[in-house]
Amino acid sequence: MKKIMIVEDDKTISEELKNLLDNAGYESIILKDFKNSVNIVLESKADLVLLDINIPNFNGELLLKEIRKTSNVPVIMVTSKTNEIDEVLSISYGADDYITKPYNPTLLLLRIQNIFKRIERTSDCYFYQELEFYPTKGILKKEDQEVLLTKNEMIIFSYLLNNKGNIVTRDDLMTDLWNNEEYINDNALTVNISRLRNKLSELGYYEAIETRKGQGYILI
Amino acid sequence: MNIKKYLKDKLIDLIIILVTYIIILLILFVFKTPHNLIIAITFIYFIMNIMLVLINFFRKKKFYDEFLNNLNRLDKKYLILETITKPNFLEGELLYQSLYEIDKSMIENIKKIEKEVNDFKDYIEMWIHEVKIPISSLTLLCHNHKNILSKNYFAQVKKLDNYIDQVLYYVRSNYTEKDFSIRKISLDKIISEVLLKNKDDLLENSIDIEVNLDEKNIYSDQKWLIFIINQIINNSIKYKNNTKKSIIKIISKKCHDKVILSIYDNGIGIDKEDIPQVFKKSFTGNNGRDSIKSTGMGLYIANKLCEKLGHILEINSKKGEYTELIINFGSNNLYNLND
Repeated sequence: MKKIMIVEDDKTISEELKNLLDNAGYESIILKDFKNSVNIVLESKADLVLLDINIPNFNGELLLKEIRKTSNVPVIMVTSKTNEIDEVLSISYGADDYITKPYNPTLLLLRIQNIFKRIERTSDCYFYQELEFYPTKGILKKEDQEVLLTKNEMIIFSYLLNNKGNIVTRDDLMTDLWNNEEYINDNALTVNISRLRNKLSELGYYEAIETRKGQGYILI
Repeated sequence: MNIKKYLKDKLIDLIIILVTYIIILLILFVFKTPHNLIIAITFIYFIMNIMLVLINFFRKKKFYDEFLNNLNRLDKKYLILETITKPNFLEGELLYQSLYEIDKSMIENIKKIEKEVNDFKDYIEMWIHEVKIPISSLTLLCHNHKNILSKNYFAQVKKLDNYIDQVLYYVRSNYTEKDFSIRKISLDKIISEVLLKNKDDLLENSIDIEVNLDEKNIYSDQKWLIFIINQIINNSIKYKNNTKKSIIKIISKKCHDKVILSIYDNGIGIDKEDIPQVFKKSFTGNNGRDSIKSTGMGLYIANKLCEKLGHILEINSKKGEYTELIINFGSNNLYNLND
């Protein structure tokens, strides 16, 4: 399980962030002692740090600078300042991504996912039971049987696969699609999902995507 | 300064000179002074007085002509003191000294007001960053409890955030000389961010989106541009036409080495007589008065920000048919030098 360190001084936000990340299948820890923040972050062996710029004792940017002296842990900077200069500065200090408050929680999760994917790009092949999935080519393969996915179907299947066994809401799927510049409407999403189901059926997976009424979809 | 007006102003002096002459003449007559002497005295007396008047006139004329002339040509009249030479007669010196004092006091006052405005602006910026924290909390809370909360909660929080951004950018557009940084940015990311922000509204109102970006690279400030486009999209949603299928088309293209971004909607459009006024502060027009709540600030701020960034914001519209906002980013070549 991936470990994420939350560096945020607002109690409600840090607790809700923990809630969000835990539900998304991460293990998250909240930094409480801001006096020893550098050591705690480094010793926690976290896989990713969510770092707020306005934290007590030490400015987030300075903390990032200190972390970067010894560690390459991915860092996402979070700030309520809407200033271009802060963003440029954070990236130059070595932040992997930058997000402005208030952010869309689904988008935050997507960005975290993307960072992990970027780091672990060992192969461009993912597995779902006996299926091989090549997201870059958009191909689903079972032995020598191949099915081509459209970009939208590919985005939807990737998302479901990443959250296998968890309920995925239509809103989550929409956010991912729109984030990939596919601005489709509700009907199109329904059509895309049923096409994806048909393609999975062709490969012998008839009930892979289940509908949970009023909640969303789940990849079994 | 002309001599006629000057003499009219010095009428009393002239009368005194004349009266003095008459008195002298009378005395000379009473003492039976020879005629030749009277003529000589008269001659000397008038030559001396005319010389006196003329010397005084030209001394003043030199100073006041320069003064008035420069004042006329100056755009910022309060800088007059910097342009004139210090006069060498009493009245002029008094005027010069007074102007110096007046300027000084005015500058002090302006400095004071400037400081107050800056303090206020700083406070607003700080307050906005503070208030974004509870809004972030609310966003997360809404997301984490979406199975028990209605979607309306999230929509209201989003609205709140949007109004707060309006204040921030109003302050930025009015009170800052330079609070932005222009660099090369990609339009697709910006459009995607704005559309994602408005995703729920767009889906709920079943507005179709068509994006076609032929030219993606532009030079602008990312945050400011997101705000500007967000205001435009917000208007498109607010003023959609309920009698037909709504659509928003976003197109960018290169046009004689200039990049333009067009945001088109098939909404209710704007009355012809209202179009020239839509960028004015607090203008709501017929659309605003008719039904939908409108502050009249969105496009005003967007236009101001565009002006500061060096972009040109234009609007085309036909009542009942469409509204199209065009951002003209100007030539990329201008900035390439600094790359």
